[in-house]
Amino acid sequence: MTQPSPVRRRVDPRAERAARTILTGQRPRLLPQPVAVAVNGRRRDPRALRAAALVQIQPRPRYDWARDAASAGATAAVGIGVAATPAIPLQVIAEPAYLILAMLDRPGGEVSEHDRQVIAAARLLADAGGGAVVTVSTGSGDALAEAGSDRHVALPDGWADDYVPERRAAAASALMAALSPRHILFPDSPDGGDVARRVAAAAGERLFAGVQSLGPDRATRQSAGGSLEAGHRPTRLMTVAVDAFPPLDGVRHEARPLDLAAPVMAGEELPPRLGGARRLAVDPDALSLSETDFILSAGNGVTDWQSFAELGEALGATRAGSRVVCDAGHLPRERQVGASGMVVSARCYLAFGIAGAPQHLQGITGVRHVIAVNTDLHAEMIKRADLSIVADAQAVMPALIRLIRERRHA
Amino acid sequence: MIATALTTVVLAVLAIGAALAAWQSRRWLAGRPAAVGVVAGLRALPGRYLVDVHHVVGRTPFNARFHALVAGGFLAAVVLLVAMGVAIAGSWAGSRIVWLLLAVVLAAMLAGALMVRHRRRVLRPRELSQGRFARLPLSLLGFSGCLLVVALDQSLGGVMPEALALILVAIAGLAMADLVWGVWKGPLKHAVHGALHLAFHPRPARFHDGRGRDTGLKPLPLAPSEDAGTVEPGTLGVERPVDFAWNRLLGFDACVQCGRCETACPAYAAGLPLNPKKLVQDLVVAMDAEASDAAYAGNPHPGRSVGKAHGGAALPLIGPDAMIHPDTLWSCTTCRACVQECPMMIEHVDAVVDLRRFQTLELGATPGKAAVMLEELRATDNPGGRALSRRWDWAADLSLPRLPAGGSCDTLLWVGDGAFDLRVQRSLRALVVLLRRAGVDFAVLGDDELDCGDVARRLGDEATFQSLATRNVATLNARRFTRIVTADPHVLHTLRNEYPAFGGSWTVVHHTALLLELITTGALTVTKPVGRSVTFHDPCYLGRYNGEIEAPRALLDAIGVERREMLRSGLRSSCCGGGGGAPLTDVSGERRIPDVRMEHVRETGASLVAVACPNCALMLEGVVGPRPEVAEIAELVLAATETAR
Amino acid sequence: MLDVAVLLSIGRHPVSGRARRAATDAQALEMALALRPRRLTAIHAGPPTDGEALRAYLGMGLERLTHLVLSEGADPVEPLIAHLRQFDPSLVLTGRQAEDGEGSGMLPYLIARGLDAAVVPDVVRIGPADAPNSIPGAADLVQALPRGQRRALTATGRFVATIHPSAPPARASAYGPARRGVIEPVAAQATADLFLSDCEHRPWRPKPKLMRVKRGGSALDRLKAATESKSGKGQLLVNPTAEAGALAIYDSLVEQGMLP
Repeated sequence: MTQPSPVRRRVDPRAERAARTILTGQRPRLLPQPVAVAVNGRRRDPRALRAAALVQIQPRPRYDWARDAASAGATAAVGIGVAATPAIPLQVIAEPAYLILAMLDRPGGEVSEHDRQVIAAARLLADAGGGAVVTVSTGSGDALAEAGSDRHVALPDGWADDYVPERRAAAASALMAALSPRHILFPDSPDGGDVARRVAAAAGERLFAGVQSLGPDRATRQSAGGSLEAGHRPTRLMTVAVDAFPPLDGVRHEARPLDLAAPVMAGEELPPRLGGARRLAVDPDALSLSETDFILSAGNGVTDWQSFAELGEALGATRAGSRVVCDAGHLPRERQVGASGMVVSARCYLAFGIAGAPQHLQGITGVRHVIAVNTDLHAEMIKRADLSIVADAQAVMPALIRLIRERRHA
Repeated sequence: MIATALTTVVLAVLAIGAALAAWQSRRWLAGRPAAVGVVAGLRALPGRYLVDVHHVVGRTPFNARFHALVAGGFLAAVVLLVAMGVAIAGSWAGSRIVWLLLAVVLAAMLAGALMVRHRRRVLRPRELSQGRFARLPLSLLGFSGCLLVVALDQSLGGVMPEALALILVAIAGLAMADLVWGVWKGPLKHAVHGALHLAFHPRPARFHDGRGRDTGLKPLPLAPSEDAGTVEPGTLGVERPVDFAWNRLLGFDACVQCGRCETACPAYAAGLPLNPKKLVQDLVVAMDAEASDAAYAGNPHPGRSVGKAHGGAALPLIGPDAMIHPDTLWSCTTCRACVQECPMMIEHVDAVVDLRRFQTLELGATPGKAAVMLEELRATDNPGGRALSRRWDWAADLSLPRLPAGGSCDTLLWVGDGAFDLRVQRSLRALVVLLRRAGVDFAVLGDDELDCGDVARRLGDEATFQSLATRNVATLNARRFTRIVTADPHVLHTLRNEYPAFGGSWTVVHHTALLLELITTGALTVTKPVGRSVTFHDPCYLGRYNGEIEAPRALLDAIGVERREMLRSGLRSSCCGGGGGAPLTDVSGERRIPDVRMEHVRETGASLVAVACPNCALMLEGVVGPRPEVAEIAELVLAATETAR
Repeated sequence: MLDVAVLLSIGRHPVSGRARRAATDAQALEMALALRPRRLTAIHAGPPTDGEALRAYLGMGLERLTHLVLSEGADPVEPLIAHLRQFDPSLVLTGRQAEDGEGSGMLPYLIARGLDAAVVPDVVRIGPADAPNSIPGAADLVQALPRGQRRALTATGRFVATIHPSAPPARASAYGPARRGVIEPVAAQATADLFLSDCEHRPWRPKPKLMRVKRGGSALDRLKAATESKSGKGQLLVNPTAEAGALAIYDSLVEQGMLP
């Protein structure tokens, strides 16, 4: 047993007992609770839970079992000195057998969910034979340690904001030459997929795009428009489909900056053929309903169109409406949500005065979070919504506008 | 002397009129060739006029009376005058009897002319055109009044000074000249062109000497793709006026601008930019080389001004600045209300579909969601782009028997595309339960049932329609059954009237007829009469297209409803706005068509409106606010025949 | 734009699997037609059976289309590059990923390498943006980014652009022009795609959806977090004051990340 795995570790009653023993007095005493949690964090400790749920002892013990873990921990900490959540042991791969490169997007410097998934996929390949995961992105590697990165190569910070696909591709190619990794994984996102294809085209290698499942011997992807599954040995260059691999949890790796013999930031000498990139200001109302993420929708219960327009502006949401509203000409026809209009898949749908005809509900089946404001408690929309408010839209809209403006100025 | 003068004037004016009509014929003869039985048509002309035209005109008795008096009097007077002219040398020419006879017919015409004047000057119905038509009562009165005085005077022996008589003859001649000049571009054009149109009508089967009804669209010949590259451009559908068949152009020229189509049109009533009268007049003026609608003096297309449209016989008809705006073309619901009302037997819907065929097949200019729908239809054989197997999702627990190729059953149930819609599934479920309850041996096609192609055809996509039709016909011909039952009148019409051209000919029954049969034969027993006040909304494709207006009413009576009729019902019912792809082309107007129809329902005070078509159910249920309940007729029958357990 | 080439593939309807015009390829053709180029070359490379589905592109108003006839399973990249070199287009437009076949999205990149051109992915507009200082000889482009964002950039020299679904929609395909248009078959030599034949193919079976679960907490907490949002049984406030209702909406929007 060379390296203790955190998952496998069991409770050691003898050690625990020894830790609780206080030898300073006349005779050894036992503390009622462990001083440090030497137990596996995943194991259920009924005694600790019981102690955490205890709210009073006199005149008789009372327990509050409904309290959540966080507050329970807080009380326990106040009561008896129990250490906070167990530290995840650091995993070190000192002498990697091979390297797996994960080229991350980090849009705006943030580690995205997709980036974590790419690292998780890379770990599958690395852990199979003692390899190490090398993440490549702008910014430092600190944030990547808990995602599963062993080594980190930082790209120039300016690249986080600039659109420099040709330089990113050149850097990837240079790293490929310098490190000779066994595999290079990219997120199959608009930017990551673009860089991956540039690298593959430059290297003349086959790209296995949109990997859905991955093992040391076999990778699969969707082909023929999603109707077939194509399987093959993992190629050197692969892109990882979104939401195909669960991101890692409860691990900690080094994410040590990798010492490179030579700086690999190649591509600076090439005059880029793409340039002058800048973000355009996007009017949310000019976005198509299929593209937008946040929809503010009005139905028959809305009469105050002035407030509705102001609210759309204040929220930065794309305005839409039910069939009735579009029929009445309050909104153009392409703003109609429903079976006969657009079927939308926004992340958030804020509906004012919409009763929820079946055709309308068909149009929002793909929406993740629905907020409904309606005067009728029994409206279908109220049943569908994640947050329902039985109130008049004409009263709530101005109040919400005021609240947003207050908070913005505060 | 008076007689000679009179007959000379009359003959001269008639000769000029004949010359004008002959000159006019160049315009409509420029159209495409059409197969027409000339002799048979001319022979059938009087019968068609007296039976079919009078049937339409007779719906408004006042108009029928004045038309009989004026037209009959004028024709008789002209015949007598011509006879006097021909027999000028004869002894009887100047006889008092003839003059008296002439006075009698002129008196009849004068009475009619006074009625015309009363209608045009006092009643002033909105739908009548002004312009040239405003002078009509004056001309009629001038002709009949002046000549009446002369004829009476002559029959009494001629007491009037000759000069005065000659002046009166001159005035009458001028009035007649004005009437005959109307052959050119005025009111009397309809007499000549209407008669010829009756004789050479593109749908002779619609008259009483044919089948009495002919509503199916005719297949458009699509050259096989081997001829690709050799076909002349722009040959599918109608782009310019000269692309219409000549007898269609003749039909447009017969329009008398009476405005009956305008009052019947659901799109016009809802303020959509379509006035069928103006549409036909646009086509009429477009036959000239340099055309403009500036002279049109009737109601415009709602929301559009008159005088901006320009075109010509060899110029495109459809366009933002052309004679017909695309919105006008795509507003039509193909409900045939205008055709039903037209006393000149003009086929407006055929014209609309011909124009749409060019737009869709040659330009791909189908508007709005219609183009998206057609693309999905081509790729998946159903308008929503769904898997065909999902048509049966609603019936997962009903275990409907499927009819395989080579199999046989008594009744084949065609569910149609409504089966993809939650609302329509409810009524289909009711129908299936009723069929089971009545012990009908029925089956469905399963995944072999494709869209029938109705909407594609009305949107002008003849290619997709023919592809679907040939495959559906092959599917149906590979199975044996005694009849097809469907709850969708659009399917009924397509299968019954339009598939025969593709080699499919079966008995197709609407579910209202079948349910009535099941109740009358005792297979279903009414246990709980409905007992509510119900009004029935006739589907256009069941009523006007197929003449079936009795069965649904008898069915409603059988389940014990208190039936109320809307002002516009039966063959003269008003459309719900769901036909002809109108919900897809989605031209906006002042109101929605179903809102207008729901007004008609409210006027009856009925608490429930029964529908017999999936489109009507969807359109009428889409009306918001407090309104009468909408129920499919099968749902009502199901509730009324519930057996106690 | 003087000289434009469009690469058109055979699409595949996601439900029926029937051959059709590919959605983004049709949008690429739409963009090419809208640019009114001096010369427009439309090219398809594929097996000879592809003819009928290609007519949908002709129905958009294209008079002729070159069909590089390949054998089944051949790699279309080399013949396409060879053919494009003859025309020397200044701009090559195509969809971003094929709807049928491998669909790796590599073809535009390989073509660009073969023609020594730049690649711009996810283009929604070609032509002058609201850029005041555009460089002569460079094309102004607008790219679509996730969540409806847009990016303007310039490309110098020849370039290959792939079209994003948010680009202007393709016009409808009309039957008449589709029937009259000419497909010119050109025999082409291509090597078989060995990698593709090396892959094993089987029907795709949908995988369970990856749930975004809050990190940490007990198993019970994670289960609750994963299932509660799906239930649709959300929070309900009956007749709150307008301010209380607004506050609840505000908090919910902040929680969803829609407001800062």
